Amino acid sequence: MHEKVVPARRIRRDGPETLLAYAEGLARIAAGGGGPQALASHLAATIDATVLVEDAQWRHLAVAGTGERAIPASVRDLIAHQGDVEDGVALTPPADPRARAFPVRAGETRLGWIAVFPSGARPIDEHAGLIRLTAAQIAVELSRDAGAGRGRRRGFWDRLLARAYEDPLEAREDAQARGISLALGYVAVAVEGEGLDEAVAAQRNAEIRRVCLDTLGTRTGDVVVIERGGGFFFLVPAPLEVDAANARTAATLIPRGIGRAGLDVKVVGGVGRHAEMISVAQSVDEAREAMTIARRMFGGGRVMPYDDLGVYPLLHRTGATREDWRMFATRVLDPLRAYDDKHQTELVRTLKLFFDVGQNIKEAAARLNVHRHTVFYRLRQIGEIGRLDLDSPHDQLTVRAALAVDALDA
Amino acid sequence: MLTTVKDAAAARRSVIAIAKERGVRWVRLAFVDVLGIQKSVSIPVNELDDAFNGKVTFDGGSIDGFVRGEEVDMVLSPDPATFIVLPWTEDGQVEARILCDIQMPDGTPFEGCARTTLKRVLEDAGDVLQATQAALEVEFYLFDLDPDGSPTTRTADAGSYFDFSASDRGQEARLATSIALEAMGIPISSAHHEHGAGQHELDLSAAGVLTVADRLLTVRGVVRRIAQRHGLHATFMPKPLEESAGSGLHIYFALGDLDEAVRLHAIAGLLDHAPGFTAVCNPTVNSYKRLVAAWDAPVYTVWSHRSANALVRVPPAFGNEPPLIEVRSPDASCNPYLALAVLVEALADGIRARSLPGDPFTGSTYELPERFRTEHAIKMLPRSLRQAISALDEDLVIRGALGDHIYHAFRDAKLAEYERYRRAVHPWERAEYLRVF
Repeated sequence: MHEKVVPARRIRRDGPETLLAYAEGLARIAAGGGGPQALASHLAATIDATVLVEDAQWRHLAVAGTGERAIPASVRDLIAHQGDVEDGVALTPPADPRARAFPVRAGETRLGWIAVFPSGARPIDEHAGLIRLTAAQIAVELSRDAGAGRGRRRGFWDRLLARAYEDPLEAREDAQARGISLALGYVAVAVEGEGLDEAVAAQRNAEIRRVCLDTLGTRTGDVVVIERGGGFFFLVPAPLEVDAANARTAATLIPRGIGRAGLDVKVVGGVGRHAEMISVAQSVDEAREAMTIARRMFGGGRVMPYDDLGVYPLLHRTGATREDWRMFATRVLDPLRAYDDKHQTELVRTLKLFFDVGQNIKEAAARLNVHRHTVFYRLRQIGEIGRLDLDSPHDQLTVRAALAVDALDA
Repeated sequence: MLTTVKDAAAARRSVIAIAKERGVRWVRLAFVDVLGIQKSVSIPVNELDDAFNGKVTFDGGSIDGFVRGEEVDMVLSPDPATFIVLPWTEDGQVEARILCDIQMPDGTPFEGCARTTLKRVLEDAGDVLQATQAALEVEFYLFDLDPDGSPTTRTADAGSYFDFSASDRGQEARLATSIALEAMGIPISSAHHEHGAGQHELDLSAAGVLTVADRLLTVRGVVRRIAQRHGLHATFMPKPLEESAGSGLHIYFALGDLDEAVRLHAIAGLLDHAPGFTAVCNPTVNSYKRLVAAWDAPVYTVWSHRSANALVRVPPAFGNEPPLIEVRSPDASCNPYLALAVLVEALADGIRARSLPGDPFTGSTYELPERFRTEHAIKMLPRSLRQAISALDEDLVIRGALGDHIYHAFRDAKLAEYERYRRAVHPWERAEYLRVF
């Protein structure tokens, strides 16, 4: 049993004395073994409000309150935005417009939300200090609980990346036993700071990690962070293809995010392909490879999806087989072939001829017996359908390699 | 503040001076009801100063979606920036028109005023959307009139997309409309024949979002008026002919120099809120006869660079200009202020939430297998006004943009409209069932 704490008197404005007295009250509750529920009750009684505490997965941790008003089951979809939170984030209707939610954070990691619904007429903003103190104390409690579990959770991801699980069921059962909620699929993102001075590397890495998490933040679950060497792997939950596409896009925006945050550091990175949970190690390998290629071939300063690297992964990999090359050519040319079949067009022929004549539009038009505008039109179609930039020497190399493999296999 | 008051006073004096100079005798103080139907109160020009001082009131209780019976006196607050002299005369009398916001008798903004709602949404979105402009492509049909003056669905021409048929009456009416609009200070970037026989399109140049809404209101009136003078009936009805293309209202947004990431967030906002804003942008029972998989009407929440039937299209930019974002689902039966308000809110919400839209789609969007749609979180647009109202009910962001008063007034009016439609026995049903059962 923790010590019973008499709620502070009803307050009009949180002055330093009030804040100090309240913080002492929180400390006494925590010292007496009181967890989020006791802390939420203390806050609710002090400011005459109803308090809802949810963790990062929107599970209830505590509900306490003096008010009789009905409160939402969760504030998950009611948080208007996640910007400046000094005075809390307003909740959208149908929640009481005076209600506010405050993040429960440990460092840069958000552990949950504390939402406060006023019972009286006084605005919540006046109690922002008390609410933030409570959120901080709850964060301490959650982190303490999480400390023991963290090692166990890290063990799961290490085993998964080491391909130690025989099948998905075994991995899922182990994850469940360690309190990990798994997504159906993931996209791996590798990021490293470039040319970091050792003296500031730790601080810079913490900043990079924060910006990456902020940029990759997803509605589909928590991003897993794995530190390796001087960089990070982020495993972004992607149950659907659209989540994978958004993870790729978000990852490519990380360098901009670093710039916007005013960090004096450059990053390089890579994005693996969408993988089922059990195959996430494959996505991690691809992310690492994409990062290496981004650094060596494109000069760094960017995060490149593996899917956009064209022929480079095969050139980089030692021991690529004939079958690997065949699959690569299929991946590049099949979308164009499918379009040709469906619409009776000549995109693949046009592409082949375009390179055969040294990218000379006039010559290609003559050989195809069409106007040169038609060649331009077809090349634009090819670019869009094949997601290729035919003005880029990198994509030109990819297409030429694919056409060569295709010709040699014919 | 002092400067603003001075500016406003100067603008009012300028309007009165122009009215005198142009020989204006009557001024229409125009406003819209919740459904976007233009209403007006005419005053002699010498009352204009009183109007600017908030002395012209009207019975709000008699306007759809305005106030309860006991709160009837509402004030018209003319916006000097919208003053235009009409390019035609009535019995030789020169008329002008000025658009008004609606205020309560104590001078506070009326929350049921659609124009004020758009202003509020634009102001609220100012934190993430600055210098946003919009441009419009407005489609409509020109039909022949019966000898008694009633509209028919016979078309004055048999032209098609971009056809050049210099001698038909539709073309003449379209040209006369463009000239009149230019004379009223509404620049037209292009005008051409559309897919359907008798179908035409006017493209309005980019301007501030509020200005564009004001202009659409004017355009609808001017197109009808000039068509009438050419012995034609103009209709913005979304789908007047079953076997021809429907008439849409394509809305382009230019988001200024926002970077690529922000543009993606904005696109995601549109896709996320599309089901919710459809009731507002496609507000009639007939709107949903257009939103079918034909004639390039969008049916899914998909974005693309080139696909003509994607909901959102981001065509390749010209030179160094930032790309435009085109929303293709709305139709011109909407309330222009509310439609632009919900679209701006969707753009802003996507930016604030930093949503992402998935990859752009290539090709026709009409043949998307269910599995593909699930994997790419692609939703189908509402297929009826009733579905659209339900989707609006569920979208708290869009409801928030409308405000409680307009949301409830709009919803009640549309539910009543849908119920009338549901109870009506349509010719198709008789043709289909009368002999069979």
